[in-house]
Amino acid sequence: MHTYIVTVTAADRVGIVHAVTGSISDQGGNIIELSQTVLRGYFTIILAAAFPEVIDPRALRDAIVARGERFDLKVAVLPDEGHHVDPVPGGDRFILTVLGQDSPGNIYRIAGKLADRGVNIVDLHARSDGPNFRLIMEAFLPPQVKPAELRSDLEQFGAGLGMEVFVQHEDIFLATNEPRPVRVGSSRNPEGSDVVVPH
Amino acid sequence: MYRTEDVLTTLGMVRQHKLDVRTVTMGVDLQSCGSPDVSILCDRIRARLLHYAGRLREVCQEVQGRYGIPIVNRRIAVSPIAGVAAGHDTEGLIAVARTLDATAAEVGVDLVGGFTAQVQKGWTEAEKRLIEALPLVLSTTQRVCSSVNVGTTAAGINMDAIALLGHVLKDTAERTRSHDGFGCAKLVIFGNAPTDNPFMAGAFHGAGEPDCVINIGVSGPGVVKAAVEDLVTNAKARPTLGEIAEEIKSTAFRVTRVGELIGREVAARLGVAFGIVDLSLAPTPEVGDSVGEILQVMGVKRLGAPGSTAALALLNDAVKKGGSFASSSVGGLSGAFVAVSEDAALADAVACGDLTLAKLEAMTAVCSVGLDMIAVPGDTDAETLAALIADEVAIGVINHKTTAVRVIPVPGKGPGDRAVFGGLFGEMDILPIHAAGGSTAFVQHGGRIPAPLSSLRN
Repeated sequence: MHTYIVTVTAADRVGIVHAVTGSISDQGGNIIELSQTVLRGYFTIILAAAFPEVIDPRALRDAIVARGERFDLKVAVLPDEGHHVDPVPGGDRFILTVLGQDSPGNIYRIAGKLADRGVNIVDLHARSDGPNFRLIMEAFLPPQVKPAELRSDLEQFGAGLGMEVFVQHEDIFLATNEPRPVRVGSSRNPEGSDVVVPH
Repeated sequence: MYRTEDVLTTLGMVRQHKLDVRTVTMGVDLQSCGSPDVSILCDRIRARLLHYAGRLREVCQEVQGRYGIPIVNRRIAVSPIAGVAAGHDTEGLIAVARTLDATAAEVGVDLVGGFTAQVQKGWTEAEKRLIEALPLVLSTTQRVCSSVNVGTTAAGINMDAIALLGHVLKDTAERTRSHDGFGCAKLVIFGNAPTDNPFMAGAFHGAGEPDCVINIGVSGPGVVKAAVEDLVTNAKARPTLGEIAEEIKSTAFRVTRVGELIGREVAARLGVAFGIVDLSLAPTPEVGDSVGEILQVMGVKRLGAPGSTAALALLNDAVKKGGSFASSSVGGLSGAFVAVSEDAALADAVACGDLTLAKLEAMTAVCSVGLDMIAVPGDTDAETLAALIADEVAIGVINHKTTAVRVIPVPGKGPGDRAVFGGLFGEMDILPIHAAGGSTAFVQHGGRIPAPLSSLRN
C-alpha cells in the first residue's frame, strides 16, 4: 500500500468532510487516520490515506479541490515517507497546562523551553480570551528528563511571565476521568524501564 | 486529546482545593522479631523496618515528582506490639518504643503506629502491661502512636480495660502538661478497629495482613467543599440534597482514583503489596480544608444546629459510595472525620457554644471515627473519661461500625480556656462535659458488656 498525507483548510461549512473523503474514496483510497478541528470559524483536517497503487499527489489534490469547489478548499498532498517513528523512544506522555496573562510570544517561549529538553509536543490547544491565556498540551518527555525538574523549571519560567505552568503525568487524568481500572504505567512505552503492575 | 474541561477540573483539585495524598503508610509485620532478649528483639525490629522502609522516603519523592501530587506524610504501621513484645517487662516495652521512635526518624517518617493492644474480650498480662506503660511511652517518645481496641460487635466491650484507660489518659496528660496534655493525642481507643487503617494515630498492621503493604490515606475536604459550593452557587435552581450527594460521590471518585494510582506506583517501585485506599475527609486546621465547612456550604451554617447529623450522614455515605465505585481496594475508615481541634470550623463552633459534646456524640453515630481530638477539662476524673469512652465504643459496637476516642484532659485548664496542640493537631476551646462524675459507679462495676444480639449471625 502507498500512503499519502492530505491537509485541507477552508472557512467552515456543512459538507466539507463529505466532499474531501468522497474524493479519496473515488480515487480508491482508504483513510487510515484522521484529525479534524474548527478554530475561529476555520475548518482544518489532516488525514492519512492508503492507496493500492502509486498515485500522483497533484492529481489527488486537484480532485479534492474540484469536488469541494463551492468551499474554496486549500489542499496539500504529500507522500508519506515514513516519518511516523517515535521521536521520543521510551518517553512518557504528560499534560502541560499554562494559565495566566496573555502576551505575544507566550507559546514560542514555552515551546522553546520544551524543545531545549527534547520534549515532543503531540497535541496542543491554546486560546486567548481578552487578557487571559490558556494552553493545554500533550507532550512526550524523554526518559532522561525528570518531571519534577521540568516542572520546577517551567513554574519559575512561567511566573516571570505572569503565568502558572503545570506539568502532570497523563495517568492522573486517566485515573480521574475514566472509570476503567487504575493501571500504573498505562501510557508507558512497553519497552520502557518502569514497572508495570498487573492487577 | 483530553477534554479541556476534564483537564481543568483535575487541575483545579490540586491547584486550588488542596488535593493531596495525606499519607503513604507502610504496614510491616513484626511478629517474626520476637525474642526473650530485649536487645535482640529491638535489633530485629530495626533491621526489619530498615529492610522494608529504607527506600520509602526516596520512592515517595520520586512518585510525587512524577505525578505532581503532593504526598504530605510518610508513616509506618507495625504489628500490635503487645504481641511482638509479649513476655517483656515495662523496661522492655519502653526499649521497643524507643527503637520504633529512633528507626522512624532514621527512615524519615513522622509517625509510627502499632504500639497497640487488642483487648476487646479480655487481656493478656502482656497487653495489660503495655496499656500501663502508655503514659511513659507517649510522654518520652515523639513519633510513637498507640491504639487500644476495647470493643467489637462480636466480643462486646471490655470495661476493665476502659476503666484503666481513664487513668492512663489522666497520667499521660499530666506527664505532657507543658504541651496541654498532647501525649493523649497519640492514643486512639477503638471499637471495631480496622486492621488496615493508614491514618494516625490509630494505624496498626493487623492480623491477616502480608509481610509488608502500602496503604494510602487520601483526604480532600477542600475538593469536596469546592464541588458542593460550585453546585450550590451556580445551579439554575437550588440543588436537591440528592443532587448534592451525587456531586460529592463523583468528587470522591476522582480523589480515590488519585490515591490508588499513587499507592500502586509506590508499592510497585518498592516491590511490596498494595493494600487499600482510605478515602477519609481528614481536616487540617487550615481554612478551606475542613469537614465543618462542607456542612456549612450544604446549608448548616451553625455547626451543631439540628440538621448537622443528617448533613454529615449524607456526606459520609456519598464519600463511601464514590470511593467504592472508584476502587475495589477501598478500606480503612473511609468517611468523614470530625476531629475537632484539627478542623477550624468545628473548633469555632465549639468556641461559640453551638457544638456540644452531646451533639458531637450523635454526629459520630453516622460518620467515621468518633470523638476525635477533643480537649476536655483537666480535672475530669478518670471514671468520667472511661464512661465517655464506653458511650462512644457502644455506638460502634451496636451499629457494626468503627468508633474511636481521642480525648485530651488538658491539665490546669477548664471551660473557657484554650488548648493549643500546634501544627496539624490544631487548637480548640476546652469542651465542658455535662454531668461529669455522674456515672462513676457504673464504670466501677467493671467486667464486660456482652456482645449485642446482632453479633449472632452464624
